[in-house]
Amino acid sequence: MENYDVAIIGGGSAGLAALQHLSSLGKQAVLIEAAKTVGSKNISGGILYSKKPKNGKVFNVEDVYGEQFFHDAPVERLITKYILHTTSRDKLYSIDLTSAHKYQANFGYSVLLNSLNSWFAQIANESAEKQGGGIVPGVHVSNILFDEGKTVIETDELKEFGVKAIIAADGVNSEVADLTGARQKFSPEELYQGVKVVVKLPEDIINERFEISSEEGAAHLFAGDVTLGHIGGGFVYTNRGTVSVGAVYHYDSLMSHPTEPHELVDALLDNHLVREFIKDEVPIKEELGHGLSKEEQLKIRFGASKLLKTWDDLRTEFYSVRGRRNLIETGKYKSEQEIKARLDTIYHDLNTKYGIKFSTDYVELEYSAKLVPDGKRCRMKRPFLKNILFIGDAAGRGIFIGPRIEGLNVGIDDAVRAANAVSRSIERNNFSSDYMGEFYTKSVEESPYTRDMREIDKDYLKIFLDAAKGVPKDIIGSRYGTIIRLMSSGTLRGLAVGFANMLGYDRLLPLVESEETYVQVPTELAERLGRLVSATYTPKIMSISQRIANLQYDDDSVSHIRIIDSKSDFMKKMVVLCPTKCYSSENDEVTLQHEGCIECGTCARETQWKHPRGEKGIAYRYG
Amino acid sequence: MASLRVAVIVKMEPDFSEGNVSYNSDGTLNRAETKNILGPHSAIACRAAFYTKVIYGAEIYVATMGPPIADSALQQAQLISNADNLYLFSDRIFAGADTLATAEVLKTGINMIQEQGKKVDIVFSGHRASDGETGQTGPQTAWKLGYTFLGNVISYYVDIENRKIRAKRLISLQGFYDIIEEVEALLPVFITVDPLYKANYDTITQRLAFMKHRKEASKKAQDYKQYLNVLNAQQLGVDPKLVGLPGSPTIVYKVEKIPKAKPTRRATMVDGSDRGQIVELATKINQVLSGAVVE
Ligand SMILES: Cc1cc2nc3c(=O)[nH]c(=O)nc-3n(C[C@H](O)[C@H](O)[C@H](O)COP(=O)(O)OP(=O)(O)OC[C@H]3O[C@@H](n4cnc5c(N)ncnc54)[C@H](O)[C@@H]3O)c2cc1C
Ligand code: SF4
Repeated sequence: MENYDVAIIGGGSAGLAALQHLSSLGKQAVLIEAAKTVGSKNISGGILYSKKPKNGKVFNVEDVYGEQFFHDAPVERLITKYILHTTSRDKLYSIDLTSAHKYQANFGYSVLLNSLNSWFAQIANESAEKQGGGIVPGVHVSNILFDEGKTVIETDELKEFGVKAIIAADGVNSEVADLTGARQKFSPEELYQGVKVVVKLPEDIINERFEISSEEGAAHLFAGDVTLGHIGGGFVYTNRGTVSVGAVYHYDSLMSHPTEPHELVDALLDNHLVREFIKDEVPIKEELGHGLSKEEQLKIRFGASKLLKTWDDLRTEFYSVRGRRNLIETGKYKSEQEIKARLDTIYHDLNTKYGIKFSTDYVELEYSAKLVPDGKRCRMKRPFLKNILFIGDAAGRGIFIGPRIEGLNVGIDDAVRAANAVSRSIERNNFSSDYMGEFYTKSVEESPYTRDMREIDKDYLKIFLDAAKGVPKDIIGSRYGTIIRLMSSGTLRGLAVGFANMLGYDRLLPLVESEETYVQVPTELAERLGRLVSATYTPKIMSISQRIANLQYDDDSVSHIRIIDSKSDFMKKMVVLCPTKCYSSENDEVTLQHEGCIECGTCARETQWKHPRGEKGIAYRYG
Repeated sequence: MASLRVAVIVKMEPDFSEGNVSYNSDGTLNRAETKNILGPHSAIACRAAFYTKVIYGAEIYVATMGPPIADSALQQAQLISNADNLYLFSDRIFAGADTLATAEVLKTGINMIQEQGKKVDIVFSGHRASDGETGQTGPQTAWKLGYTFLGNVISYYVDIENRKIRAKRLISLQGFYDIIEEVEALLPVFITVDPLYKANYDTITQRLAFMKHRKEASKKAQDYKQYLNVLNAQQLGVDPKLVGLPGSPTIVYKVEKIPKAKPTRRATMVDGSDRGQIVELATKINQVLSGAVVE
């Protein structure tokens, strides 16, 4: 049997940071990832933050990857604008929360996880190779055995191997946690379900629409009636040449009155402001060559789609500074005018030769979904078992406070702490719980992120209170009246927050994270104070079956999920709550078609749930 | 020093995948218009050689006989096998060679490599080419080299210390196909690789080595000319009488036209986004299955 010092299970941003940091400390580690290529199973919203808390220290992405992060990492845009919109049909009341975004932050970049994680993987793998380790993709860990003082890892693909320590970074639906009994599966109260679509939009158009430069980015958040009555909210983040439109909702709220996940994104896409944000000039897909022979039709369709692609590619380049420069520098075109002229010609040809017309709509590239753990409720208080340390989503560590959704930076901070603990253990050859697990727990407890999961930060709260100054008190309602009054004075605020923190998040949350906060108050705000925004078109929102058809899977012949009780209430809810409609109900029994599964974990609680075997299942292109 | 030295002989072939083939008006293959690629069977041979790289750290030579443009096939071969050296045997006088004359060039080439003091332990080749389909070049080269010949190999293991190879081959026996025969032979051997060949990398160390070599291969292949040696007949020192047309006892009497399949079936395109068409299709399937489909 082969032996390695450390195995990191899971190559999301947390696992990769652990590999990079351990390697930089000169330690040997191998990272096992189920996806065929690292990054293709990870999704996020997402904004990747780097933080500078007033008290204590967190380990940021640039601490792990160094200066090259700023030069080479494929991040999308530096977020400079952060606005909350409350909605009531076509009315919107907006509050600028840029100061909340900048609060204790070095920066926040919008990111797409597929490309970002594969960059992390490339860097981490190079460092790991130098220590005799590296990344092994396409392998699914299926079991962990503790055998006479040895820790043995079994996989679906490889021969078993022994390790001294494990860092479990296998995400919110951690099988390592499940297999070893390190923690219970998360319950609906502890989770959020996130659903996202990536929309294509040329760079310059994004700049103009969102009133930003190429060096800037915008984040728009939504609460009110777009939530369809659920606790949570929507977001629109600008990427370089795409826009991420997503919705994150409290799972418990979805369980209590189930709504199909895609409807929550659809509600957002249908919002008048969002419609205007993402609109573009889109060719109408009509049947070409009507009345001609099949062969002729095929020829025409082939020609048209080829020309359309040329138009689309050239247009994307033309509408971006880098793209334009590139086209001219490589000598393909002499000037911008020339590119524009070429574009016009193609457009004209599409119109006259093929009868293709254009209309205003939006272009959707990818649909995705995943559970997100709410660290306030479910973080592992002691994130280890024997010689296994849990990090990131696997440890239930993520920050959910108002519009703050932070899992990426938290996972990276955990990763460094875990790597430090493991490295220290290697030096002493002591992997006992007392030496390694306890050390890691202490370090994680000291992390300012843990503090954020434990208690209210009165300064962060103040930003919201200040932003809400203009809001009539009667909207805030009798329930919050006292709170607001208490909070508006500095001394009282300190006292109130202190008292609230003594009560603890457990008692406080039902009050704060309620339909009133996320739905009723914002809706009323928009209704009474909002401005009318009316979109100029109605988007043809992609159907869920089209969305699934656009995804890439490597189907596994064997299902990775097994229904335990096909008649349970839980399973019946899954018929509605599975984001890709894998469940259907017939004669009171729920059945599963696993092929469309995107491994979100929504059904994991009451099923026998595993990730698919190595290389199998979903492969996202954007994430 | 590498403990194992391996050569792969490959062939550039027309790309027969859909949409890439071009025909002359008389129905024969238009070689000039059809894109050329590394033959699919050669690619499998390269994969088999790559296994020796990953597992035994072998030194790999890839060789082909062909026109100067065949260097792109060598580049593809390097990408798959992480080869250390590429050899292109190219000369006008090689033109018109049959399998025997080709084998002569390849044999001379491999011997030339050996003369530089580097004994080649295993030679891999595809089990046949897609455009010639004779499957003769391999065995003939083996015979000329005097190597033990192992055909249709689907997996193998090398015992470096004892200079032995153990291989599984797919054979047909007494009318049964797909019989797996396990054989052991002393090195050196000549292996033709079966399309069912599968490499198993089933330990962490092997997977890490696999990833490392794949990365190295793509780096090398970007710069493949640096590894390329082009040799003509004179440099190789082949006997002109034994190569090209003069060296070819086979006479191709006639090449049949590529027959156009008679349309016995008719395909109808169904647009998946059109509900009407899907219903129509479902109705048809139902009819064909004589109503066996209930819904
Ligand atoms: C819609 C949405 C919006 C979000 N927005 C933000 C945001 O704006 N900012 C932010 O910071 N965070 C955000 N998050 C949270 C953030 O995306 C996650 O916290 C983060 O991606 C988790 O990283 P991870 O490495 O812990 O886990 P993951 O990224 O889930 O990685 C786990 C990996 O382990 C692999 N794996 C699992 N089991 C096995 C096994 N048995 N064997 C081998 N491999 C295995 C998986 O394939 C996967 O690659 C958002 C999440 C969602 C869903
Ligand atoms: S089957 Fe389960 S894990 Fe898969 S997509 Fe549906 S709810 Fe998510």
